[in-house]
Amino acid sequence: MHADVAIKVEKASKKYCMSLKRSMTYGILDITRNALGLSSRPQVLREDEFWAVDEVSFEVRRGETLGIIGHNGSGKTTLLKMLNGIFWPDRGKISVRGKVGALIGVGAGFHPLLTGRENIYLNAAILGMSRTEVDRNFDAIVAFADIGDFLDVPVKYYSSGMFVRLGFAVASHCEPDVLLIDEILAVGDASFRARCYDIIYSKLQSTATIFVSHDMSQVNRICDSVMLLDRGKARHFASTSAGIAAYFDTLCEEGAMLHGNGQASLADLRVLGPQGPDSLAMGRPLEIVFRLRVALGISDISVILSTLALDRLPVAFASFTTSLSEGGAERVIRFRSPRLTLAPGKYSLSIAVFDETRCTQILWHYNVCPFKVHGEAEHVVPVVLLGDWQAENPS
Amino acid sequence: MKTPHADDTVTTYEPDNSLKRGYPALCAEIFRELANNRWLIFQLLKREFSVKYKQSFSGVVWAVVMPLSTLATFMLLHSSGIFNVGRVNVPYPVYAVFSMALWQLFATGLICSANALVDAGSMIIKINFSKKSLVIASFGQSLLSFAIYLVLSTLLFAWYRFVPSASLLLIPLVIVPLLLLTLGLGFILALLNGVTRDVGNVLSLATTFLMFLTPVLYAKPATGILATITRYNPLYYLIAVPKDLMFLGSTTEWQGFCASALLSLMVFSVCLLVFHLTETRVAERI
Repeated sequence: MHADVAIKVEKASKKYCMSLKRSMTYGILDITRNALGLSSRPQVLREDEFWAVDEVSFEVRRGETLGIIGHNGSGKTTLLKMLNGIFWPDRGKISVRGKVGALIGVGAGFHPLLTGRENIYLNAAILGMSRTEVDRNFDAIVAFADIGDFLDVPVKYYSSGMFVRLGFAVASHCEPDVLLIDEILAVGDASFRARCYDIIYSKLQSTATIFVSHDMSQVNRICDSVMLLDRGKARHFASTSAGIAAYFDTLCEEGAMLHGNGQASLADLRVLGPQGPDSLAMGRPLEIVFRLRVALGISDISVILSTLALDRLPVAFASFTTSLSEGGAERVIRFRSPRLTLAPGKYSLSIAVFDETRCTQILWHYNVCPFKVHGEAEHVVPVVLLGDWQAENPS
Repeated sequence: MKTPHADDTVTTYEPDNSLKRGYPALCAEIFRELANNRWLIFQLLKREFSVKYKQSFSGVVWAVVMPLSTLATFMLLHSSGIFNVGRVNVPYPVYAVFSMALWQLFATGLICSANALVDAGSMIIKINFSKKSLVIASFGQSLLSFAIYLVLSTLLFAWYRFVPSASLLLIPLVIVPLLLLTLGLGFILALLNGVTRDVGNVLSLATTFLMFLTPVLYAKPATGILATITRYNPLYYLIAVPKDLMFLGSTTEWQGFCASALLSLMVFSVCLLVFHLTETRVAERI
């Protein structure tokens, strides 16, 4: 292993059993075989077993950060547990240089009846810190957790935010050579998340880091390269944005929802670029067109159009109000924009129609008409600022 | 912040890789793990004890009430003649409490250590830490209740004006084999309990049965099937010798004791080694 390489994974695989009863039998068999000095023949799949991680190989050097992305159940967490030594690979080999620190399930070792102070020492000991290390970092841990008067209160009375803050504070104060981070920042408020990132950034330079997340903007911010896991198999990408694009390609965009009270109907919805639907690109013209028919007696309507990102969050919207001289007629509604400000990626539409006179929603089509914006993703944020740059001499 | 390359040890994970290292390396590994984790063991032990009675109004009082109620039961059984204890040369309460202290070292120790991994299941699948420390800390609970029983014994000695002989000082030494046997079995049972919960269920049944099978609260029977069983029961010797030293000042069971102690040492070594070889199997099945 080269001196700079901190993590080296060679064709590592892990199998899991889907049946609980069989799992117990296999467990006893494996333990017996290992205890007798026999090989448990880990490379053979038995009934009800499958490869959760399948021949994954990679290397991470000190100062590098590898992002691992993939759907739920693709093997990310299993891989991380093998790197952490919680269980061993069934095939292949994993080598790790130095001390491993894990920001995984922070607060896992906390006992609800013990106070924050007691738990800091207990948890630190479980995470492999020495007594002097904890004594040295105690004030910093307390300050980071920001739990105030709750330091001597049992942690079962903590809010979930305080619990996670304390967990993160302890875990992040061990000084690892290899850092494993698994989707930890889903909880906690914005300012705490920001402080967590400050800590993570400060460690990235001196550690080899594995970062697992479903949040692609975080992956893009932190990682040097990514590995996409799909049912245990890995695909490597030297460029983070290419990996993220591949990840988005594997996501399916199902789940359209059509609501309405029958007073309006919508048809022929299309999203068009300058040369048809496949020519949508960042900075190029965009046209959204559909036919709308509303019931007799409705004269004033408004249309609210939003683009949804893959997580269904609206990222941009436009609205339109119009008077219909004679209700019941069909209209072709057209929205044009000279320059599309969405970043490359996959989106869908949400269209809501309101009866302005009665202030009621008469139609809502949600997550319909998926479309793809082409282009090289430099930064994974959903909206780009389009404009011109200039560099001038000061006058 | 830590300077780069401060720690250059390479840890390698491979299937079945412990087997390739050979026994001397394995023993060194075990020894190093235990030595490095002394503080962790202490912290875990502290947790076990401080949590045990925390959410109860009476708190630690329970630790004394439990043995007292056991004692009361046996005194009742004894005085009503239901339970024939044979010949004991000291007041029965004195005899019973000290015997129970020794027995629960085994029984409590076994049950606590067997549950060590299961109770910490959520932690084991998230954090890589020394699972031996966990078992040892859980086993440590039995030492704490042993201490409580000892305090109770001392009070009873004073009450009945019983003065033990000087060979009392040998007792800490002669209970070591019992501890080794318990801890060794505890390692294996913790492991198996992690995989299949049947172990835990059987265990509480088995320890109760064993207590009546082993002459703990009654003197060694001279005849009958129980006498034969007792002759080959290592637990009897491991408990009888400290008991004899306390109440008689000497013992006639040295031969059986030495054999049992040797057996205990073997059980402990083999179990610890097996635990070391297979402990990662628990995290994937627990």
